[in-house]
Amino acid sequence: MKNSVSLERRNFTIGAALGLGAVVTGISGVSDLFASIDKFDKEKGAFSIAPNIWLEIRKDNTILITIPRSELGQGVRTSLSMITAEELDADWDKILPVNAEGDSKYGNQSTGGSTSIRVFWETMRTAGAQVRLMLVAAAAKHWGVPANKLRTENSYVYESQSNRKISYGELIEKVADIPIPDIKSIKLKSPEEFKIIGKTKWHIDNPDIVTGKAVYSSDFKLQGMKYAVVIRSPHIGGKLKSFDDLDARKINGFIGAYSIPEGVAVVANSTYNAFKCADKIKTEWIDGPIMNVGSDIISNELSSLLDEMPDLPANTVKSFEHIYEVPLLAHATMEPMNSFANFKDGKCEIFTMTQNPQTARSAAAKALGIGEENVKVNVLLSGGGFGRGHRNDFVAMAALISKLSGYPVKLTYSKEDDIKNDFYRPMSVHKVKTGIDKNGAVTGWIHKVASQGTVKATDPQYDLPGIKNLDVAKNYGIPTGSWRAVNNTQVYFVNESAIDELAILANVDPFDFRLNITKDTRLRRVLETVAEKSEWTRKLPKNSGRGIASFAGYGAYSAHVVEVTLSKAGELKVDRIVAVLDCGIAINPGNIEAQFMGAAMDALATALKSEITVKNGRIMQSGFHDFEWLTIKEAPKLEFFVIPSNESPGGIGEVGFPAVSPALCNAIYNACGVRVRKLPIKHTSLKVM
Amino acid sequence: MRLNINSKYYEINSESDTPLLWVLRDELGLTGAKYGCGIGFCGTCAVLIDGKARRSCITPIGELSGKNMIITIEGLSENGLHKLQKAWLEIGVSQCGYCQPGQIITAVELLNENPNPSESEINDKMSGNICRCGTYNKIRQAIQIAAKE
Ligand code: FES
Ligand code: FES
Repeated sequence: MKNSVSLERRNFTIGAALGLGAVVTGISGVSDLFASIDKFDKEKGAFSIAPNIWLEIRKDNTILITIPRSELGQGVRTSLSMITAEELDADWDKILPVNAEGDSKYGNQSTGGSTSIRVFWETMRTAGAQVRLMLVAAAAKHWGVPANKLRTENSYVYESQSNRKISYGELIEKVADIPIPDIKSIKLKSPEEFKIIGKTKWHIDNPDIVTGKAVYSSDFKLQGMKYAVVIRSPHIGGKLKSFDDLDARKINGFIGAYSIPEGVAVVANSTYNAFKCADKIKTEWIDGPIMNVGSDIISNELSSLLDEMPDLPANTVKSFEHIYEVPLLAHATMEPMNSFANFKDGKCEIFTMTQNPQTARSAAAKALGIGEENVKVNVLLSGGGFGRGHRNDFVAMAALISKLSGYPVKLTYSKEDDIKNDFYRPMSVHKVKTGIDKNGAVTGWIHKVASQGTVKATDPQYDLPGIKNLDVAKNYGIPTGSWRAVNNTQVYFVNESAIDELAILANVDPFDFRLNITKDTRLRRVLETVAEKSEWTRKLPKNSGRGIASFAGYGAYSAHVVEVTLSKAGELKVDRIVAVLDCGIAINPGNIEAQFMGAAMDALATALKSEITVKNGRIMQSGFHDFEWLTIKEAPKLEFFVIPSNESPGGIGEVGFPAVSPALCNAIYNACGVRVRKLPIKHTSLKVM
Repeated sequence: MRLNINSKYYEINSESDTPLLWVLRDELGLTGAKYGCGIGFCGTCAVLIDGKARRSCITPIGELSGKNMIITIEGLSENGLHKLQKAWLEIGVSQCGYCQPGQIITAVELLNENPNPSESEINDKMSGNICRCGTYNKIRQAIQIAAKE
């Protein structure tokens, strides 16, 4: 993915060019901030220069880097800054990442699909290199020496001979006269020259996070702002018939209750008072369309759609046909969805936790019936994302509530509201039919999936003959959306479990079996490395087992080995997870490991116990107490290894997830001979032989 | 009523049934304690009240008075130099970071009671604090680093 985003020169701004950086780093009150900058500016003259849309250099040598993607904890503010600072030879300690507002000039701002580094790798490097060349040219002109006698380091230009130096900040006025170098003339560093890339930097916001200064979406405040919450139908797809706010009006701080498409919006002078008022509002609802439907019914109906399967080739001598199933999952971000909106004089400004400020912008514009050009979306830190922030329901709703109430408002979903009104990871039922010939070679692979329509079977990452991927749908109207690793959470559980079952059918070790069916060198290397690091052939104690699985996607490869032990009572303990990743150039190794750790925890939680269920048309869970997540007690250690590589960087965030649940279920089979084909595992009774 | 928060007295206007969390966040603009569940289950809202980690989302201010010493993450140290904050920075515990103020506050109580906790004592104390990003291994490690200081 090359320069997918423009590097066109933006107007040189000498003067107060201030992004959101200051808000993000926790200075209170946006308006105060602008006032102080204005004053500063009048007294001191030139303040900063922005040679392209990605970089701004301030007189005090602070460097602002535009971050086009949303920070959800994956570390994008840090890693994109590293990439840019590397080519700019910038002083890391004076970097200030500034979140871009939603605007197509920044290219694709959808934070998903593990694409942030892949899409912006070339662009941000080039942006840094371009500005570095301009600074060098400005210094050369200033000193009257040829540019090739100069070098750059830590945001200074040095003249090697005289030991003269000048900071980037001191050059800002001089840079204004320098023509923008042609992108073609820019030579980027080769990996051996990297000083920043490849060395761990912890999140740039960490000092603010541990002192409580970091500004998350829910922390945003504007003087005079009011607080909103929403009341929704208890049933999926139910509509508001009527509401009565007589009792709510008696509560101090009540401002108003408004009918909105989702139900009733309640506005008060604090979040707590808004919750309190909402409790007092009586509502009547028109039933949703699936009042008689529950998870068990959906499961049975979807399974029955899989009855007919094509035949395997005639040379098949041994085969199986098995059904696998995964449930609905909520995103359950730590920070429930929320958004600030201020609609005034036909324009609207948003501060929020979206994963895509461009679609947030159009969602707000649509809700308000105004043009997108009248909406500005600013992105704040998000307490997790996992795909939830691709839906901008909370942004559109906040915008509408601001319009209806006439106040700037911050809308907060209660945890219960958040869990019950998510866009869930879809539930799906799968059937795999596969077999081997008389020599043990795979003859065919048929994978048919039934879901509400969005889940698709995809090819296993191995070289198999006769692959058929089929899908059938029945739509119940349960809202679904993208959830970390999307389709791969289901499909890899199924594919990598069924591959294991094939290995057992062929009576071949599951690791050897996988190697036998792939020529892909990168895939082979992660498999071989994980086997070596986990000592695959080491003898395990009785009632223990190990399982392996791999993943290829998002421009990267990974493999996991999980080891488990079952107690006499059939209690499962995950003893060990070993993960190997080949992601090409590893930009920020420590953070990559942290993301793999997090992905493993997600995958374990959802394999072991988390699920969303439906009963009589209602979502049955409402928080972490019943949509269970792992606690620190259940968190195994992760042994993590990265394959050194100079390939272009691949994705990370989603790569660490898909192989974990199949490796775990394969380990359970290895330990006790019980094959888990339905997640979460808590539904399967695990007996020790 | 008056509350003593981070060694400063604040005149509070919210009604007495209001949980401390919302007084801190909405009335006083101290947003370090986070809303994660509102029912005392997740720990993101933890603050120290007289040295004990308490869930501010289920602590109505009517139960408190000016005599209680309330410490939020903002007041834990000047410049983030508490040994737990330093350990958190040293090994980069945070992913999204949203749960971390609550984790740190809970760890403060742990080290107050038990300056040298074993791994399982850490697990016991910290198991009521959820981290959706799965930073548990690093939380454990950071507490061990801080305990050694
Ligand atoms: S918000 Fe208080 S425990 Fe979750
Ligand atoms: S770091 Fe995100 S919830 Fe803990």
